[in-house]
Amino acid sequence: MALLEIKDLHASVAGKSILKGINLTINPGEVHAIMGPNGSGKSTLSNVLAGNEAYEKTAGQILLDGKDVDDLDAHERARAGMFLAFQYPVEIPGISNMYFLKAAVNAVREHQGKEQLDAMEFLDYVEEKKKVMNIRGDLLERAVNAGFSGGEKKRNEIFQMAMLEPRIGILDETDSGLDIDALRIVSDGVNALRNTERGFLVITHYQRLLEYIVPDFVHVLVNGQIVKSGGKELALELESEGYESWAAAEV
Amino acid sequence: MDLKQLRQKAAADFKGKGFPSTKEELWRFIDVSPVAKGDFSADWKPADVAFQPLDKITVVFENGKLSREKSSFDDLPEGLCIGSVLDLVDPRLGTLADSQSAFVASNTAFFEDGIFIEATNGIQIETPIHLVFLADNDGSAIHVRNFISCGEGAKLTVIEEYIGQPETTYWSNSVTEVFVANDGEVDHYKVQRESASAYHFQTIEAQIGAKAVFSNHTLNLGSVLGRNDMRGKLIGEGGEAICNGLNLLNDRQVFDTHLFMDHAVPKCNSHELYKGILDEKARSVFCGRILVQQDAQETDAVQNSKNLLLSRTAKVNSMPQLEIYADDVKCTHGATVGQLDPQALYYLQTRGIDPRMGHAMLTFAFANEVLDEVKCKAAKSYIEGFVHAWLDKVS
Repeated sequence: MALLEIKDLHASVAGKSILKGINLTINPGEVHAIMGPNGSGKSTLSNVLAGNEAYEKTAGQILLDGKDVDDLDAHERARAGMFLAFQYPVEIPGISNMYFLKAAVNAVREHQGKEQLDAMEFLDYVEEKKKVMNIRGDLLERAVNAGFSGGEKKRNEIFQMAMLEPRIGILDETDSGLDIDALRIVSDGVNALRNTERGFLVITHYQRLLEYIVPDFVHVLVNGQIVKSGGKELALELESEGYESWAAAEV
Repeated sequence: MDLKQLRQKAAADFKGKGFPSTKEELWRFIDVSPVAKGDFSADWKPADVAFQPLDKITVVFENGKLSREKSSFDDLPEGLCIGSVLDLVDPRLGTLADSQSAFVASNTAFFEDGIFIEATNGIQIETPIHLVFLADNDGSAIHVRNFISCGEGAKLTVIEEYIGQPETTYWSNSVTEVFVANDGEVDHYKVQRESASAYHFQTIEAQIGAKAVFSNHTLNLGSVLGRNDMRGKLIGEGGEAICNGLNLLNDRQVFDTHLFMDHAVPKCNSHELYKGILDEKARSVFCGRILVQQDAQETDAVQNSKNLLLSRTAKVNSMPQLEIYADDVKCTHGATVGQLDPQALYYLQTRGIDPRMGHAMLTFAFANEVLDEVKCKAAKSYIEGFVHAWLDKVS
């Protein structure tokens, strides 16, 4: 069964139509990249998938593990295995990363019918996951994203993904604002989370990220529609030719 | 002036001035007529209110009078003296607080008891001194007068906790004077959980010497109408004052915080963060004034007032003020009033945290910032417990 199926998805923001019929199927273990110019609907797609109420789905279907997520709120989608790594992670002063992660992990575990982790078990779990990501201890003691550098924020996103072990990870322009070193660290983290069951949807403007997170499929999003799909070589093609020809072809 | 003369003068001042009206600038946002017109003449009686001792040193007052029976402060470390302010009169009593307002004047004139705490030079007391003021005497006035003296290089932690029996109506009117000598450190806390029908007024006056540190953390939960006057005077170079407060108000509670920080000498720091979370028809007033005198060069002062409104009917009046007469200073202030950030709620939701829990987490996070600088761990977890309980109640 497909892991994530998007069928004829239409969505609008503040009354303006942005997504105009997206079709995409991600099978377990696959990494799909969506590339597109600014304003093509990349962030709208990730927010509609995650269940952001500010975005309105006007038609179509989103199926996660065969189940329609239409009636699920953002937290229910997260518990069902959808994870969105934010382009701009939100700063939350006053809540430590540890406290936040424990609440999140236990909310997901409760949904899965697993026992809640107590403080000691949670610390063990954190230590185990810290090995996956290059995370310094002090990042976890600090308030959620508060005063983090761009790289630290993105690393924190991937660390959260490692902790929550989602079915599918959606990376919304995770590469924006990262230097090469940070990009490599974040990509290593994502690659460590790849397995035969989990899927990824990597949304990016640039081809660069896809040198580190090598996708199985690349889709080109222009003006709210996927105008071309192909293998990883499509990313290179885009890099040399740019988006203009696609945008022109669409009009 | 001896104590008797001081009290006579204060009684005359009180009689002359009377209670302030909303026409006076410092009182324009709260109407104290329920206190001015109320009858608070009930005779004293012992109090029957539950409390929880925090550590080894607990001093309990029952409706304003020290109860040896309920207290435990017999086995004190050397250099620390604790007793009734009636027994251990210090000539400095009344020199910081005498007749600034009708409330201070009436306290000076009528106080029947209070705490006296003195740490002699160089004595560092780690154990927090927990003062518990129990109140359940309907129709009474409770004037408590506290005196705290911290010697040179000494250290004290004092927690004042006001606990009222629910639904009793009384007027609690305290004054606390704190003297922190050079290099001394006083870590002072106030937990105000008076009856929700009570009137609570307190003036805290602190005089801070050279390289001394005074910190005050205040949590206001109780009283239907209340006011806190926090006044600090930095009189020695290198002194530091930290004053943070959190007001958690609901129903029709009104609470007024007036802060005054007087930088009289160079190179002192003061920072203040006052936060309020208001629900239903609650109202909060914050007026913070920092005075930097002409000589007080290289002053570093920061003042912030931040409020979170949980309902459309709650209201905040916030007035941060800087009054600067020196030219080489760093002073900032800010005031915000707002709601929870929807983007932060969404972020928590995408991690599996439901909106109800997210709401509670963000509200707690907002409050928790006030407790960031709390040094006494016992006080911190104690205060956090009340914050959690209050948030559970309003959510």
